[in-house]
Amino acid sequence: MLQRDIFIKEITKKLKNDKKIYFLSADFGAAALDELRKKYPKNFIHCGISEQAMLDIATGLALEKNKVFVYAMAPFLSLRAIEQAKCGPGLMKLPICMISVGIGLGYADAGPTHYANEDFACFRAIVGSSIYTPSDNTTTRFIANEMLNKTKFSYVRLDRDYCDDLQPNLIKKDYANGFKLYGKCDRKKIGIISHGKIFHKCMNIFKKNTNKYVLINLFRAKPFPDKVVNIVKKINRFMIVDEQTPSGGLSSCVFEGFSKNKFYPKIISKSLPDQYIFDNGGRNYLLKKYGLGEIDILKSLKKLK
Amino acid sequence: MFEKFLLTKHGHPGSVFSMMEIAVSLFHGGFVRFDNKKKSFNDKVLISKGHATSTLYPILRDFGVISKRDWDNWGIKKSNLRIFGNTSIPGIDITSGSLGHCIGSGAGMAVSYLNNNQDKKVYVVISEGELYEGSTWEALLFAKHRNLKNLTIIIDINNLIILGNTSDCLKLDPIKSKIEGLGINAKEVDGHNIDNLVSSLKDCDESNDVNCILAKTVKGKGSSIMENKQNWHYWSPMTKEQIEITKKDLE
Repeated sequence: MLQRDIFIKEITKKLKNDKKIYFLSADFGAAALDELRKKYPKNFIHCGISEQAMLDIATGLALEKNKVFVYAMAPFLSLRAIEQAKCGPGLMKLPICMISVGIGLGYADAGPTHYANEDFACFRAIVGSSIYTPSDNTTTRFIANEMLNKTKFSYVRLDRDYCDDLQPNLIKKDYANGFKLYGKCDRKKIGIISHGKIFHKCMNIFKKNTNKYVLINLFRAKPFPDKVVNIVKKINRFMIVDEQTPSGGLSSCVFEGFSKNKFYPKIISKSLPDQYIFDNGGRNYLLKKYGLGEIDILKSLKKLK
Repeated sequence: MFEKFLLTKHGHPGSVFSMMEIAVSLFHGGFVRFDNKKKSFNDKVLISKGHATSTLYPILRDFGVISKRDWDNWGIKKSNLRIFGNTSIPGIDITSGSLGHCIGSGAGMAVSYLNNNQDKKVYVVISEGELYEGSTWEALLFAKHRNLKNLTIIIDINNLIILGNTSDCLKLDPIKSKIEGLGINAKEVDGHNIDNLVSSLKDCDESNDVNCILAKTVKGKGSSIMENKQNWHYWSPMTKEQIEITKKDLE
């Protein structure tokens, strides 16, 4: 099942007993959404292909103490409606959860209009937002339930593609921490930090080299989980892998989070280049071409002294 | 309000005086219903042209929603009041300032009331300059599609934006037929004639659909120095003579 279907199914379940939940879509669908629309037509609002108005409508609903979920393709929900997100849920601290689907190069080969390679940096800058980037369905389910139980201004970045569940599975305690650690920390090892679908490439590398690497799934980037610093402070070399452009991405986030906690290890960033990508060939081809293939990541890790 | 502009030395007097009668009609005309027991309003008023939210402060003071202390202190000592309204100020239903947001937010509120069978209305006051914002039209489409009968939009049309006349900067006319083209009832009124405004608001209350009032106004209305002058969008320093003239004009 896709991450979006997992998320929407959780909302549909909750709607049975909680009619304060509203689900708004800017003409973006999902298999699970058909059931929600049919069962709860009063709580589903089609806003047209109008991300800006959707956020404003969500603001009005949230001001009336409703729990609001807005849903659209990542590049449009994030950048087109960012000022609405600032002025509504940001300025007024409203319970609006933004579900953004198709992060990174998820919409390959649609081209740069459809890629969301800057959304993470943009939403990090919006005051009061929480940012989540799950790598699998279990984490997505945890996020959905947190947002349903205590809706808050949040930006949830879902992948367009199917993502295998991570093994071992995320548990409640990991979720509360905001990250999950794989492997044992040792000063000789290199720490790899990532999130989203590209985390799976890091997982493949880790599984083949557990004696060399420690892997951290940082599914909650904001607020930054300070606790991660205590866990990884033995390590002095990190590689941050992120399917975003270099400015303001996960590397910036980790660098700032570490330095806020007075932790100054060597950090190498592995991201997409600072350019718009027009090539065809599919997501994996593009990732390889622009240095984010599994082999490229491994090569860079080997160079990290 | 003029005394407050003199004290605070900032704000948007042209825009405030443009919509004063609109605000007076809404509140003192009884359209925004006041709950005496709760000391709060049953209905919502969203000032989308957030730079003119302070128009409401003296009215909210009349109803005792804004405290005498906050009103008296504004411009002199510590006060909760601000040029741009925000939800921390009693009686202010939305934090606004960036243009083009409030029809959408008002529509969201209106949907919530209708879904929950709540007898509550939403009035949204926008400037005609907000018709340049795409989100305004997105929200109008939505309001019409949902037949939000508990939503009334009042457009304060004074023909001026910061750089000049709307007709010279970027033509908006014919506004009425554009709004009506969306299927929304649009009625033109003299935005400084309280009888006309009250009559139109009454028609909106009795209607079964979303309504729009096109209030023809004058920027800086009431002050011979400010009227129809784009530079009076913001407060400008005044000579003693200008202050006396304006006070006399506004008496």
